[in-house]
Amino acid sequence: MLTRTSPSHRLLLRLLVAAQVLYVLGVAGAGYATTAYGQHIWLGTQPVDLHGLQYESFVRLRYTAAEAPLTAWRGAAPPQPRQAVYVLLAPGPDSLATVAGIYDKTLTPGAGQAVLRGWVTEVYNHTLSLRYNLERYYVPGDSPLRLGKTSPAVRVRVSIAPWGQARIERVELLRKPTAGR
Amino acid sequence: MSRKFLDTESPAWVAEGLITEAQRARLLARYPPDAVQAVGLLPLLGSILVGLSALSVVAANWQSLPTTMRLGLLLGSLLAAYAGGEYFLRRGNRRVGHGLLGLGLGLFGASIILTSQLYQLVGYDVSGLLAWVVAGVLLSYLYDSQILTLLPIVIGVAVQTYCTQALGLFSYATIGLVALGSGYRWWRRPNPLVGSVLSLGLLWQAALWVALSHAKITWFFVPAMLIYAVGDWHPNRAAGRALQSPALVAAYLFALGLALFGETDQYADRLRPPVLAYLGALAAVLAASVAGKRARGSLASLPDWLLLLPGFYLPSGLPLAVATLVVLYAHAGSVLARAHRSGEAEQLTLGTVLFVIATMVAYFKLTWAFLDKSLFFLIGGVLLLSLSWYLRRRNAQRLAAGAAAVASPGHTPASS
Repeated sequence: MLTRTSPSHRLLLRLLVAAQVLYVLGVAGAGYATTAYGQHIWLGTQPVDLHGLQYESFVRLRYTAAEAPLTAWRGAAPPQPRQAVYVLLAPGPDSLATVAGIYDKTLTPGAGQAVLRGWVTEVYNHTLSLRYNLERYYVPGDSPLRLGKTSPAVRVRVSIAPWGQARIERVELLRKPTAGR
Repeated sequence: MSRKFLDTESPAWVAEGLITEAQRARLLARYPPDAVQAVGLLPLLGSILVGLSALSVVAANWQSLPTTMRLGLLLGSLLAAYAGGEYFLRRGNRRVGHGLLGLGLGLFGASIILTSQLYQLVGYDVSGLLAWVVAGVLLSYLYDSQILTLLPIVIGVAVQTYCTQALGLFSYATIGLVALGSGYRWWRRPNPLVGSVLSLGLLWQAALWVALSHAKITWFFVPAMLIYAVGDWHPNRAAGRALQSPALVAAYLFALGLALFGETDQYADRLRPPVLAYLGALAAVLAASVAGKRARGSLASLPDWLLLLPGFYLPSGLPLAVATLVVLYAHAGSVLARAHRSGEAEQLTLGTVLFVIATMVAYFKLTWAFLDKSLFFLIGGVLLLSLSWYLRRRNAQRLAAGAAAVASPGHTPASS
């Protein structure tokens, strides 16, 4: 172990720092690549509570796909809270994705379908609630959500990369939450 | 001795004829007042304030900044922290240098998290944050610095906690990196603080593993005693003890809990893993520990393992409570016996405290139901008072004997 800084020592530190910078750039690259090469789906949400935006930079999205009937469970053993799951999503008539099945191991989706990973949060008698880790949406400065409409319903464009990462691409207001859909 | 003490006390020394006025002047000149340090703090405080203001401006406008600018800010501050650390190290200011390098490492983790957030990106395993642990371990090998050695251990705990709580899976890579990477770093350059923190960090991760896998909580003691056994193999006794003490404290608290609450079946039933698997694993660790103790000549500390006796397999109720109490007494007695042999004052105090705790638990457990309440407190008080009198007398005798032996080497302290 070197105790004084020597030229070779400094070189090692620079290599380590360069690797860290490249890694952060790699994370950013993964963000772009997920949009470029990923599969895109629309997810609907419950009305979004905007009050938190006064204090925090994110809102909490409650996806309609976060609640599913227990009949959608396809695992061998009954679902456990905190269990990691694979949710098969199929586009509904309004182009918003709905849960077609919840699996405890990976699967290949059919045409038009997508698999999003998530976790079981609670198991009830007839339903089960899920978490996708996409619940926190950091609202950009130019988002329409910043204009302060009360509790709008939104639809969320999610990209799912073939290597398993997922990201929120954008969030749009649903103009007529009841009539159109 | 502080300069202030010298200033106030030395006139009396001159007056009493201990030193002359000239000697007093020389002593004062030997320790100049350190007024310079206070001035040195001002630029530090100033730069912290400026840094905080910059941070709050950026944080307030973070979501409105363009993506590339946010990424640039993160990477820029990361590079600046590392470059500043390197600059101060070259100038010979190790403390500031290592602090800035640590800040750079912290900014690396913040950059990973904030960049993921920037793209609203979700990962499903810990691989994103694992790079942070790797960078921390590598950095700790580059410099001889306590803070840089502690950082990867703390980062490992943070990453593992996030991983188990948010992703619902245990990262074996993280615990492996900390155990092998930081562990080897400690093994080569042992430091009591690093040893204890390393042990605590690994115990925390082991506890997370037990909680996540819904295993019986007694499985925790297999990895905990494995850490203990590693401490037995370390050539430096003090370093080994620093690594071992967190595991021992955990085992002691567990035994104490068993003595206090083990009577009800409700608890005891949750503690019983499959007999053969658990005892087999524990016996393997015990063998490694004994081999280490024998190799390093520290077999005297073998009674530490008394705390690991699996009393919870006994039928719960009075037998379990009594058996645990016997174990607690035997352990306290072994600590006292070891302390008397080595004559270490600290060990003696520890043994006394353990003995008193065992006595109190025994008394409260066993006599509460049988005695009238006022009689209970009276007898308990008398018991503790006499115990304290007896132990203090033994301590005084023992320490006096030790002092006599030191004062007159060659003369056996048989008379005292």
